[in-house]
Amino acid sequence: MSFAAIHIPDFIVQAIVRSEPTLRGRAVAIVDGTPPLWSVVATNPAALQIGIELGMAKSQAAQFTAVEIRHRSAAQEKTAHEALLDLGWSVSPRVEDTAPDTVVVDLAGLGVLFGPDEKIAHELATRSTGLGLNARVAVAATSIEVAVLAARGFPGVTLIEPGEEAKSLSGLPVHRLLPSFEILETLARWGVETCGALAALPVIQLSERLGQEGVRLHTLARGAFERSLVLAKPSVSFQEEMELDDSVEELESLSFLLGRLLDQLCARLAARSLSARAIGMEFDLERSFEKDLQRSARSGQQKLVPRKFEKILTLPVPMRDAKLLLKLVRLRLQADPPSAAITKITMSAEPDRPRTTQRGLFLPASPEPEKLELTMARLANLVGEANVGSPQLMDTHRPDAIRMERFRLAQAAAAGGRKKKLNTSPFESAGKKTRADIAGAEKPANGFRFFRPDVPARVELRDGLPARLFFNGLRGEVVAVAGPWRTSGDWWQEPWDQAEWDVEVRFSTSSQTSKRAANSFHSAKSVNSRGLYLIYYDARQQGWFLRGSYD
Amino acid sequence: MYTELHVRSAFSFLAGASLPEELASVCAEREMEAMAVLDRDGMYGAPRFYLAAKKINVRALIGAEVTSEEGWRYPLLVESRQGYQNICRLITRMKLRAQKGEGQISREELENGASGLICLTGGEEGPLAHAMASGGMDAATKCVQQLGEIFGSRNVYVELQRHYCRDEEVRNQRALEIAHKLNLPILATNGVCYALPEQREVLDVFSCVRHHRMLATAGRLLARNAERHLKSTAEMQKLFADLPEAIANTQVLASRLQFTLNDLGYQFPIYPVPDGRSQMQFLRDRTYDGLLSRYGEDNERARKQIAHELDVIERLDLAGYFLIVWDIIRFCARQNILVQGRGSAANSAVCYALGITAVDPVGMELLFERFLSEERGEWPDIDLDLPSGDQRERAIQYVYERYGKLGAAMTANVVTYRGRSAAREIGKAFAFDVEVLNRLTSLVGAWEYKDANDTLERQFQDAGLDLQHPQIRKFCELCLRFQDLPRHLGQHSGGMVVCQGQLDAVVPLEPATMPGRVVVQWDKDDCADMGIVKVDLLGLGMMAVLEDSLKIISDDYGEEVDLSRLPANDKLVYSTLQKADTVGMFQIESRAQMACLPRLKPTCFYDIVVQVAIIRPGPIVGQMVNPYLKRRQGREPANCLHPSLEQVLARTLGVPLFQEQLLRIAMIAAGFSGGEAEELRRAFGFKRSEKRMREVEYKLRRGMEKNGIIGETQETIIRSITSFALYGFPESHAASFALLAYASAYLKCHYLAAFTAAMLNNQPMGFYQPPSLVTDAQRHGLRVRPIDITCSDWLCTLEKIDGKFAVRLGLRYVKGLRGDIGAEIVRERGIHSFTSVDDLKRSVPRIQKEELAVLAEIGALNKLGNQRAFHRRSALWQVERTARSSGPLYERSDDSGADVFVDSSLDDSGAASSPLAPMNAEQRLVADYRGTGMTVGPHPMSYHRAELQKMGVRCAAELACLPDGMHVRIAGGVIARQRPGTAKGFVFLSMEDETGIANAIISPQLFEKCHIVVVHQQFLLIEGQLQNQDNVVSVKSQRIEPLTITHAPTSSHDFH
Repeated sequence: MSFAAIHIPDFIVQAIVRSEPTLRGRAVAIVDGTPPLWSVVATNPAALQIGIELGMAKSQAAQFTAVEIRHRSAAQEKTAHEALLDLGWSVSPRVEDTAPDTVVVDLAGLGVLFGPDEKIAHELATRSTGLGLNARVAVAATSIEVAVLAARGFPGVTLIEPGEEAKSLSGLPVHRLLPSFEILETLARWGVETCGALAALPVIQLSERLGQEGVRLHTLARGAFERSLVLAKPSVSFQEEMELDDSVEELESLSFLLGRLLDQLCARLAARSLSARAIGMEFDLERSFEKDLQRSARSGQQKLVPRKFEKILTLPVPMRDAKLLLKLVRLRLQADPPSAAITKITMSAEPDRPRTTQRGLFLPASPEPEKLELTMARLANLVGEANVGSPQLMDTHRPDAIRMERFRLAQAAAAGGRKKKLNTSPFESAGKKTRADIAGAEKPANGFRFFRPDVPARVELRDGLPARLFFNGLRGEVVAVAGPWRTSGDWWQEPWDQAEWDVEVRFSTSSQTSKRAANSFHSAKSVNSRGLYLIYYDARQQGWFLRGSYD
Repeated sequence: MYTELHVRSAFSFLAGASLPEELASVCAEREMEAMAVLDRDGMYGAPRFYLAAKKINVRALIGAEVTSEEGWRYPLLVESRQGYQNICRLITRMKLRAQKGEGQISREELENGASGLICLTGGEEGPLAHAMASGGMDAATKCVQQLGEIFGSRNVYVELQRHYCRDEEVRNQRALEIAHKLNLPILATNGVCYALPEQREVLDVFSCVRHHRMLATAGRLLARNAERHLKSTAEMQKLFADLPEAIANTQVLASRLQFTLNDLGYQFPIYPVPDGRSQMQFLRDRTYDGLLSRYGEDNERARKQIAHELDVIERLDLAGYFLIVWDIIRFCARQNILVQGRGSAANSAVCYALGITAVDPVGMELLFERFLSEERGEWPDIDLDLPSGDQRERAIQYVYERYGKLGAAMTANVVTYRGRSAAREIGKAFAFDVEVLNRLTSLVGAWEYKDANDTLERQFQDAGLDLQHPQIRKFCELCLRFQDLPRHLGQHSGGMVVCQGQLDAVVPLEPATMPGRVVVQWDKDDCADMGIVKVDLLGLGMMAVLEDSLKIISDDYGEEVDLSRLPANDKLVYSTLQKADTVGMFQIESRAQMACLPRLKPTCFYDIVVQVAIIRPGPIVGQMVNPYLKRRQGREPANCLHPSLEQVLARTLGVPLFQEQLLRIAMIAAGFSGGEAEELRRAFGFKRSEKRMREVEYKLRRGMEKNGIIGETQETIIRSITSFALYGFPESHAASFALLAYASAYLKCHYLAAFTAAMLNNQPMGFYQPPSLVTDAQRHGLRVRPIDITCSDWLCTLEKIDGKFAVRLGLRYVKGLRGDIGAEIVRERGIHSFTSVDDLKRSVPRIQKEELAVLAEIGALNKLGNQRAFHRRSALWQVERTARSSGPLYERSDDSGADVFVDSSLDDSGAASSPLAPMNAEQRLVADYRGTGMTVGPHPMSYHRAELQKMGVRCAAELACLPDGMHVRIAGGVIARQRPGTAKGFVFLSMEDETGIANAIISPQLFEKCHIVVVHQQFLLIEGQLQNQDNVVSVKSQRIEPLTITHAPTSSHDFH
């Protein structure tokens, strides 16, 4: 019986390099953190050699021109890990998922298929290159941990003969045994730096001092630690990816590919008696600098348009009807299409148990959740995703600040609401209460009708007060005015600065055009009569707008 | 005309964003005649506002927003002195019964202390808004009625604020109804929180700090808009165009508020004099008693001077003040607490006679007017130096006891935002993560000197922040705006104020964080500006060192040393000073002092006085140092500025070095009186104003012309005075410090062991860190023994080895060892000697494994093994077993004496034979530095001397013998880095090796190039040109490289 440990050194870096082969052989530093403050979290030896250090700020690392800086990608690490598991499974069904960067394969009985252990080890190393990874492989005759330690500690392919375990490991630093911080510190105080030095300590006396953990480390250091293989459980994540040789721009062509991926996902889910609670889509977009520049110039932003386009289709109930899912996905993409041609699709399903709810006999009929979802998606396609849902007030002075929350059926909302109540931070609840209190204390006399989006207007001032109002072809005399009411804020990110006025406007009816415009914009009732409006001057846009009207 | 009557300054601590000075200045710009500052629950900013306003002819009206038990805040304006006293008492009462920073006032208290106060109904936090929100119109009406009952209907104004908010206007309309109904006057205010609209951003960040929120999540806790700035009359008239009465009433009310801080009513306490004598008579008697003991009977000059001083004291009615300070001195004498007055008090022969100071002002011809003058009309300032620590605390507690809780208090220390604190708090508001904040704040340090590139922006760039990012740019901008804004109130290190009767009627008092301490709401400058007498009881580390040294000398040497009777001209002391061998000596130990000593070559006490004073910004900026030293060395003639000034400047070879000389020059050359001369010093001092300087200069010139001093001589004198006044050092102060410098030098030269032990027991203090003090003492032949559990006390002690004293390091240097555990170890050891690590653990059961491990690692347990080969690692091996509690089966049986399942490897002492290898030299070094911050073994550099010699590196002691201009290589551990403000960007490094300290000078250009290496590396190799002039040796660096000498965590004292 023997075991092969496969280890990917500098795993975080290799995970990135795997998807960007041009980086191979170059100095690479991976940064992570809260934007815009990133620091180096991983490097390869080439980067260390030119002076990059872990913890260095991104801007400091950027001063080294020879280093390639990339952002850490959990997704790429995950797929690299899955590839590593695949590597193990490619030779044996008995694979242990030891760590993100390490797997162990039971080589028992593989000799018939692949030859001696050494050959298998070299085969694994070669296959790893094919998967875009540069793996270290170590084979140990009896101990899984010896194989793992050797793979982590020695480059290339290592074969440890039976009886040679302790000798082979003796030069490895003790931290490779992954002791607790406290024990590592004690060992450092003792001057015990290598596995050999640890193995040389008398085990009974060591147990008196470091307890069972000490004995375990001692056994590990001697290469005598034995345990059973913990077989890797089949994956609970369902993900399919498709790299496209030619980028796809048309939704129709894309639908075909999406359908295929969804079929595969749904088939896998069905095999495990599961459904999908959500479908995640990630599209790699083709980089077009000209387009990006045009777009950034239009939006006035410095940063380039991102290269990825992500969509998550959250489902009201778990489902695995591929056709229905495709419809929903299509509608979602129609409403908010990717900004460039697609070069890669990653589709994943969040598994969940299928819906088994039995409807109550006396409950009022409500639409099928699947159909409701389809309807909501169609609505979103028509009016825009940001305009569908239930509006929620936000804790800010910014006028008209709302966020759209997902619309839910009363039952689901009640259940969710209960759940949410538990999770609501005291601040949020306090804020809402205050708002409600104010609303309650000062009940508005009139209802207010928001115009969304705000309507651009022209205002003539007299003595600093609005005197005439022009909007959408309408013209009106301001007969009464109150204000201004000023708000400004968010000065640290996207500032706003507005002065609101409540105006009573008497519309002029002389022009037929005005009439038509008024009819098209507003109810005919307000033409030839007065209206109460809330207008505002936006100091940042330097323009007037109508926020809405009072009923 | 509009008067703003509701302003919160930054002294509302996180509720206002502008300093009082800025508010006053903007008020003047807006052409308002008066303004009222109402800070939250305090008078914190009142003196600064009053003084700033006075200068620009704005009437400073005073008040406060006082928090009620119900949570609202009463805006109270002070109408009369009685009102002021009432509000101070109200605030004191609420503060003293609550936690620091909290406190509420009850309605009953308000009813009892409402006279002289005018109450506004307030803005959104006021009583009216609160009542309206909770109970509507009826509750609001009732609330205002109640205010009328408390303050009297004539003294309640219905306040209207307009910040362009809908809900506020709704409230205003209802408030108007109430005012009309109750027939109360209305008053417009703007509820100002900052002077200028852009400061709203600062207020928003303050709100985040106050509520522990981030800007992104603070929501409606932030301001709705930027309308709470100081608005002009026109703006306010426009806002209240419909209510002109509200504007007009601001004038009416302002004219009613007649109280200003000019009218505090402060009285210094009366000293209880026995036998019905007057305070003055009693002071005269005590002074003449002192005269006899200090000067003897025949010193006519002293008698005359004292008579003159007593007359001045009598005319100024200051006898009580002198008696109270004398009383503190007597208390210290009774309690054997070393005490010495310093500062300008040392100019007074009365102080000398009373034992307050130790410098003879008559003998040294010091100028009394620098201390006290009739013209100035200010309280004198007496600073008392006491040994830092418990002794000083005893003196402070004595003052509290003597004058009562409400009669004495410490002065406050306003803690303001600086680079790091600002960056940290703003960073938190901007939601930067902890790691980034730490990186940021560790890099936002500031050298004393800042070159053009050394900006906050650059520091942020070094911290890895992208300044192109708009959010980061805003962050940096705010960091700059935050500088000097108050954060909270702390306690001043020693300033105490006392009062006849109730101090709480003069300024509000509050509890300090330290139990038993009460602080006033003003800092020491504010107290001085408001004419409140202050006595500084300052803790001075060197006083404690001297006191401890004397005790050790008495206990161990069996000798009694009296500091007041030290031999005046000790040759050893002066030869040591001339060699600049001054590590550890008070005030003359710094690199700059050491560079000056061999050139100045002190030979008498007055030379030390000069030495103390000459390395100061004044003489350095005024370019007095080199002329003085050249004259001293006879390289240039000692010409005085004018023959008439010979008497004044002869002592300092024609170079003015002291403030007193400046005053005397003005008195002799321009005929100024003592008071006028002091006025001149102030005019050119820190708070200089162009107008005042021009006036004084004109007077000076006119006076000199009268005395026939014209032309070039006049210009030279003017130049000397104007350049020097800013940073001058009083001679009396220098003399007081020189006494301590001499005493420390004497003790170090003659009682090195005692002095070193005392220095080590009073750390942190001084220029050098403990490792350098130990290395220096070792170079002088003192043996310093390592920490040993079998003989070390908590403090460092002396041991006699071969008839010579050695210092045994104390347990206080064991990092992480708790004080009470250290005391327990010493106590248990007194009962029985420890025989093993187990025995130690049994005797001191509360000792933790980590403490034992550190003791073992530094070798402090080496004597607990009975084998010769018991070493640090043996002890560590043993500690690990001892610290792990064994199960009951492994415990020794007490009754039968039989051992059950006892480890067979244990020897007789219970110590196991260790399988661990002993530490090598480097490992011991690392352990020593890690566990104690120093080593008593060889200096780390000594282990590499052979290789360093091969590299051509010279050791520190060699440099003095090498010729000037030679190209040399030096290496050492950096013990100090300095970039003084006066050195034009040059950096000075002190590097230590086993032979001494070498100094290196780094040009700004080289520093720019090697910034990271110079700042972060502990061991350096420097190549450059040797400068060896007049035995002052340094290396002008040309190349700097890091050296890897040891992994031991050595440290340096950096003056950033």
